[in-house]
Amino acid sequence: MARLARQIERWYSIPLLLLVWQAAVSSGLVESRLLPGLGRVAAALLRDTSAGVLPYHTAITLARAAAGFALAACLGVPFAAAMARSALIRNLFEPIFFFGYPVPKIALFPVFTYVFGIGSPSKIAFAFLECLYPIVVTAYLGFRAIPIRLIWSAENMGAPRRTIVGRVIVPAAMPGIFNGLRIALPIAIVVIVLTEMIGDSRGLGYYIAISGTRFEFANVYAAILVIGACGFVLDRGLLRLRRAVVHWERDADAR
Amino acid sequence: MRIPTAVQHWIVPIVVVAAWEGFGRAGMMPRYLPAPTLIVGALYEVAADGELARALATSLYRVALGFVLGTGAGTLVGLGAGTVPGIRHFFDPLVSFLYAVPKIAFLPVFLLLFGLGHESKIALIAFSCFFPVFIASRHAVLAVDKHLIWTAHNMGAARAATFFRVIVPAAAPQLFAGARIGLAHAFILLFAAELMGARGGIGPLISEGEDAGRFDLMFAGIVTFAVLGFLGDRILMAIRGLVLRGQMIGTLEQAVR
Repeated sequence: MARLARQIERWYSIPLLLLVWQAAVSSGLVESRLLPGLGRVAAALLRDTSAGVLPYHTAITLARAAAGFALAACLGVPFAAAMARSALIRNLFEPIFFFGYPVPKIALFPVFTYVFGIGSPSKIAFAFLECLYPIVVTAYLGFRAIPIRLIWSAENMGAPRRTIVGRVIVPAAMPGIFNGLRIALPIAIVVIVLTEMIGDSRGLGYYIAISGTRFEFANVYAAILVIGACGFVLDRGLLRLRRAVVHWERDADAR
Repeated sequence: MRIPTAVQHWIVPIVVVAAWEGFGRAGMMPRYLPAPTLIVGALYEVAADGELARALATSLYRVALGFVLGTGAGTLVGLGAGTVPGIRHFFDPLVSFLYAVPKIAFLPVFLLLFGLGHESKIALIAFSCFFPVFIASRHAVLAVDKHLIWTAHNMGAARAATFFRVIVPAAAPQLFAGARIGLAHAFILLFAAELMGARGGIGPLISEGEDAGRFDLMFAGIVTFAVLGFLGDRILMAIRGLVLRGQMIGTLEQAVR
């Protein structure tokens, strides 16, 4: 009973907001073309889901986001480790990452469309670039923040180099790595949807843009719901993975 | 022989720009990558006829107002959510659902709601800034060392005094971290909103250059936009440095900045 009350307390605002939404539409307070009733959004969601339109565009968007994110993670984390390890690599690339971090890279997207074409490659490459920065910078800070005492202790106890890397350095850097991944994941989705809105004929971004220009706002909201659900599920999945990998961490912050 | 660190920092950028210039002059670069000197020439061209200043003023107005509104609202609500459980429980589910939604997806709605002028862009930028700033502020308050708060209570500090004199200063570094993420969001939204239907601003400068096949003009816009975002971040960090005079000393972030 008490648990139920706590669950209600923690989640009531979503149904409440939907209720206010529906009430505003039903009472005619807002123009229903701009804010279609929940019934119409649900109908649009159901119709385009069963017709396969939404699943099709969602699959394309997610596949692109996953490709860019995975590329950035697979290249970014080892690169961050190399930067933390080697003074030369650090001196060569640290300014690029730390000075380039606040530069809005979105401005380069038009160039990407020329280099990689307007289809998937330019979007994946751009998502890669946008994800690479938070992943490298956060993982790099994670590697550098490892207390040197941990490494000395392992050396003192006669651990060989490989054991130190595998059992001390990598685990100690894991929280930092996961922080970066968690920052990068929504960025990947956002960047893909955004670039699809700028110019494509597939993907959820295209679906939103075309529905918006046709004034089919029920479809826009349906797509927003789908993106929100995808982002939420993926973020929770990443948190689960983090808890499984960094199982020694009992950090309230990580929730 | 060892190359000084300061020189090493500049090797990669200089090599890239020099190679770009060299290959560009030799005609070995594609047409859409004009040589850096040509880009500088185009920058001078738009700066000379006042077009750059007009575009800059328009974009700056949109991004600054949107950022201030969104960051202000996000900080206030986030501080509230961190302090009052009721506010926290109301906003948490909404934010965690909407956070991963690209706010640009609301562009059609905002265009209809606020019109094609400045207002729709400003509202969208503010809307987008709100979420990361809210999350950072909320976490910052909850992460404040409880001993500090207990000590203040023990010494008889009123709730308001505890909030303004203990919680807000202790949370301040995280508040700036949130504002920094918000600023990055603001520039992304500014670019996307300007590219997808706006009159005036740096976005149209870029797309007009592209449409006319003047890639040097396109790059002039891109460089301006990049510099603007970079300077915005520097200014924010300078403000942080002033506000947090003592708090940054010895942190890793300061060391590597």
